[in-house]
Amino acid sequence: LYCSYTLLSEKLTQMMEWASKRSVIRMNGDKFRRFVKAPPRNYSVVIMFTALQPQRQCGVCRQADEEFQVLANSWRYSSAFTNKVFFASVDFDEGSDVFQMLSMNSAPTFLHFPSKGKPRRSDTYELQVRGFAAEQLARWVADRTDVQIRVIRPPNYAGPLLLGFLLAVIGGLAYLRRHNLEFLFNKNVWAFSALCFVLIMTSGQMWNHIRGPPYAHKNPSTGQVSYIHGSSQAQFVAETHIVLLFNAAITMGMVLLCEAATSDMDIGKRKIMCVAGIGLVMLFFSWLLSIFRAKYHGYPYSFLMG
Amino acid sequence: MAEHHAVSDGKHKASTNAGGSVHGNSRPGAAGGGGGKGGLSGGLTQPAGWQSLLSFSILFLACLAGFSSRLFAVIRFESIIHEFDPWFNYRSTHHLTTNGFYEFLNWFDERAWYPLGRIVGGTVYPGLMVTAGLIHYMLNLLHITVHIRDVCVFLAPVFSGLTAISTFLLTRELWNQGAGLLAACFIAIVPGYISRSVAGSFDNEGIAIFALQFTYYLWVKSVKTGSVFWTIGCCLSYFYMVSAWGGYVFIINLIPLHVFVLMLMQRYSRRVYIAYSTFYIVGLVLSMQIPFVGFQPIRTSEHMAAAGVFALLQAYAFLQYLKDRLTRQEFQTLFFLGVSLAAGVVFLTVIYLTYTGLYAKIHIPIIASVSEHQPTTWVSFFFDLHILVCTFPAGLWFCIKNINDERVFVALYAISAVYFAGVMVRLMLTLTPVVCMLSAVAFSSVFEHYMGDDTKREKPPAEDSSDEDDKRNSGNLYDKAGKVRKHVSEQEKAEEGLGPNIKSIVTMLMLMLLMMFAVHCTWVTSNAYSSPSVVLASYNHDGTRNILDDFREAYYWLRQNTDEHARVMSWWDYGYQIAGMANRTTLVDNNTWNNSHIALVGKAMSSNESAAYKIMRSLDVDYVLIIFGGVIGYSGDDINKFLWMVRIAEGEHPKDIRESDYFTPQGEFRVDKAGSPTLLNCLMYKMSYYRFGEMQLDFRTPPGFDRTRNAEIGNKDIKFQHLEEAFTSEHWLVRIYKVKNLDNREPLDHKLRSVVPKQKYTSKKTAKRKRGHIKNKLALRKGKKLQKK
Repeated sequence: LYCSYTLLSEKLTQMMEWASKRSVIRMNGDKFRRFVKAPPRNYSVVIMFTALQPQRQCGVCRQADEEFQVLANSWRYSSAFTNKVFFASVDFDEGSDVFQMLSMNSAPTFLHFPSKGKPRRSDTYELQVRGFAAEQLARWVADRTDVQIRVIRPPNYAGPLLLGFLLAVIGGLAYLRRHNLEFLFNKNVWAFSALCFVLIMTSGQMWNHIRGPPYAHKNPSTGQVSYIHGSSQAQFVAETHIVLLFNAAITMGMVLLCEAATSDMDIGKRKIMCVAGIGLVMLFFSWLLSIFRAKYHGYPYSFLMG
Repeated sequence: MAEHHAVSDGKHKASTNAGGSVHGNSRPGAAGGGGGKGGLSGGLTQPAGWQSLLSFSILFLACLAGFSSRLFAVIRFESIIHEFDPWFNYRSTHHLTTNGFYEFLNWFDERAWYPLGRIVGGTVYPGLMVTAGLIHYMLNLLHITVHIRDVCVFLAPVFSGLTAISTFLLTRELWNQGAGLLAACFIAIVPGYISRSVAGSFDNEGIAIFALQFTYYLWVKSVKTGSVFWTIGCCLSYFYMVSAWGGYVFIINLIPLHVFVLMLMQRYSRRVYIAYSTFYIVGLVLSMQIPFVGFQPIRTSEHMAAAGVFALLQAYAFLQYLKDRLTRQEFQTLFFLGVSLAAGVVFLTVIYLTYTGLYAKIHIPIIASVSEHQPTTWVSFFFDLHILVCTFPAGLWFCIKNINDERVFVALYAISAVYFAGVMVRLMLTLTPVVCMLSAVAFSSVFEHYMGDDTKREKPPAEDSSDEDDKRNSGNLYDKAGKVRKHVSEQEKAEEGLGPNIKSIVTMLMLMLLMMFAVHCTWVTSNAYSSPSVVLASYNHDGTRNILDDFREAYYWLRQNTDEHARVMSWWDYGYQIAGMANRTTLVDNNTWNNSHIALVGKAMSSNESAAYKIMRSLDVDYVLIIFGGVIGYSGDDINKFLWMVRIAEGEHPKDIRESDYFTPQGEFRVDKAGSPTLLNCLMYKMSYYRFGEMQLDFRTPPGFDRTRNAEIGNKDIKFQHLEEAFTSEHWLVRIYKVKNLDNREPLDHKLRSVVPKQKYTSKKTAKRKRGHIKNKLALRKGKKLQKK
């Protein structure tokens, strides 16, 4: 008994030492067996099994890792920090034997190893259902260990800083050219930026921003990449870029048509402009219509392209 | 189908005509503004007479097309109020017409939100009800007796005609008359607007878009003229808008933004000063007269931008005044820069705050549960606007290239509306008018150059004689102003080069696009936006139609067979319909003002029966109404909405309800055997599938096969203890359960305790024969007691 007691306190001091260095303790196979799997233990460990190496190409792991770090930091620097709970992570490339031992074949996975007894079913975090937001993880941890963690996200200064920087640059430019502010009155610049904004919005980039869809879908069995989502309720990022280009082309066609009629260039050029304009409008509109038709099942109309 | 063709033909003709007439007045229009002002007095012998007759008939046709294409639902079904919110509006309009205006303003509705009730007069925008009530009153005054329901059903189509006219007026102010006519034709039939204004959809948006466009028209007019008369008109129109829809916030932010940008562009003028100062003060005072708005305009962040710009404008005007007196130019410009910067910062902060407020609202479950509050995909844009969404950036380009005061306004309108439409599907409605206007500008500029009058050969088909006349006469029109004529002759010379062939091809193709637009609009209106959703229809293979009238059947049953003061519990979606059609008290409804009350209902639905019974007893529930689509395969039923009930309940009662309990370990939501036991025993599941296990719909499927979720249900042996089935409609779409009263006495699971030992005792004694009986007379015990004392 005395022996196990010393072992326990030794382990605890070691864990505390690691935890003081970094809030998420990195573990390999040996450490995992010694500090998590081996019996004398009076602390809970929440472990994220992940694959962060770039060659694994696990985008979800990286996002989950960020959230996990947020949670661990909130715990590490909170006033209620005790040695009851530790946060650790096992990377596949450092501890693949652990993955085999626990017969795990997907990453990221969050497991809780309670201080007493074996992990039960609810000690596996339901990633599919609950997502990997730090708040959700905190609720799960509170549920399993009775340790309440208030998630404190480090405020994101990047946005305001960037905006401030941009404003400063614009202000600086304006100041440098204060005797010649003609460029501010350049209608082309303003019209162009307004058009960009409008095109970005009408092609559904806001949806992308809020929902975060994948860029395109690759069929795992055939290897075929589809850029267009099959349903009208969702879209891929690639698809919205295509639509943006098509909309821009149609707009350009309309502008060209008007330019062709009003400008004072020589007649050949204007004819070319006119034909190009109407061609752009017709071609890209019918193309857009065919994409729309493929997505909106049961839509009866098409034009030029089936 | 005959209707279909007639409508689409009419539209096509209207838009063709509009295209044909464009060139007639656009040339002078390009120089300044509206063309046909002086023509009204001329009569038909004058060219301007033809022009105004043509404009009038095109506008009339546009209104007619707009009105008739909104009637699909009335013709297919009947004159009926649609969906959910319109039922409340109808009910309050009915209250208004029967009890009078003041009674309506003071109306406390005890039939909603039992036991809390709802102060209706102070929590609605009364514009819609008052409009419908007023029309009803006027018609009755003229002895045209119509039922208030018909007024409500046809209000939105009638207002769509008014919207077309006000869009015409606004576009004419912005560009020219031809573009105005095109815009009127577009807005009359565009699906993005029809989605909210079909006959029967008696909702705020139906009249609000008219008010919005008309306010903007009057605002542009007042900025142009700088006259107090137009500004007061604008304020009155704004007042109407405030009384009609919460979207008035869009106006009260866009107009200050316009003024602010005009100041930044150094386009400040006395006209702007007069217009905005008058608008802000009078509009503020008027908007505060609406009880629901009250003191919000001086309290909330949404209105602060307007106040800030007002202050800034006064400061700017004061500086302008000083500028005339003082000479230190440099100091003043510096001062101006400082002021404008500070104001800009304040303005941006306010916008940022509003934005974050909006963003936070999106993430509350009850708001997220409404499908209209989702961001917009490009498919929705294309579906609702078709060719217009591709061409309106071109119109924006032309407007910015030829900028003036009012085109600044339309550019800002476009940019802000497109942003809001991107964030929320529902706000597509505010984008639609500006898209119509700018597309009309784009198309009109193309037609203007390609339907040219310099070559008579390539004119469009001769069937439109008025078109030709207009064309010939338009030439005479140019004789009036020498300056314009010179401009025209220059252009003619330039245009000769393009050649008639190219021109006619371009014209034909453009007309073809417009025709496709009209066809698309009709198809979308007919297929997507003309379902009353109170009455459902299904089509057989041979094209015959089945009407599923379960909702009204069930509501009528409630009306006829239950006590007048019975309280019906249902999910909040059906609250307005129960109140409107069944005239019974509801616990929660579509006015989702009290989240905890809704969460309580959600908790009752997602708990097991005995826990739910406690909640229902505490809320005095008599009947529970649910929607079940498993028999006919209706996907909008309560089981499909069930997760939202759980989520909302979990938000308020995290200890009792947990969303993860309703999923399988794999994280799926299943109703079959593999589903989670919590789900299989919760009240909603039991009520939906009660007796469903005995029902075999089809020989190919087992009994109890749910057609909506394509699964055989997991719990077929459902018995109720505290509820009993009261009514199930023909296709099982609506099921109503009665909540039983408490039993007279709680039956106990075990036998009474006092009985058991006695029996045991006696039996023990009898086992010991009669000897013990004599002993048990207990003379002995009495003796003992006495002895002790």
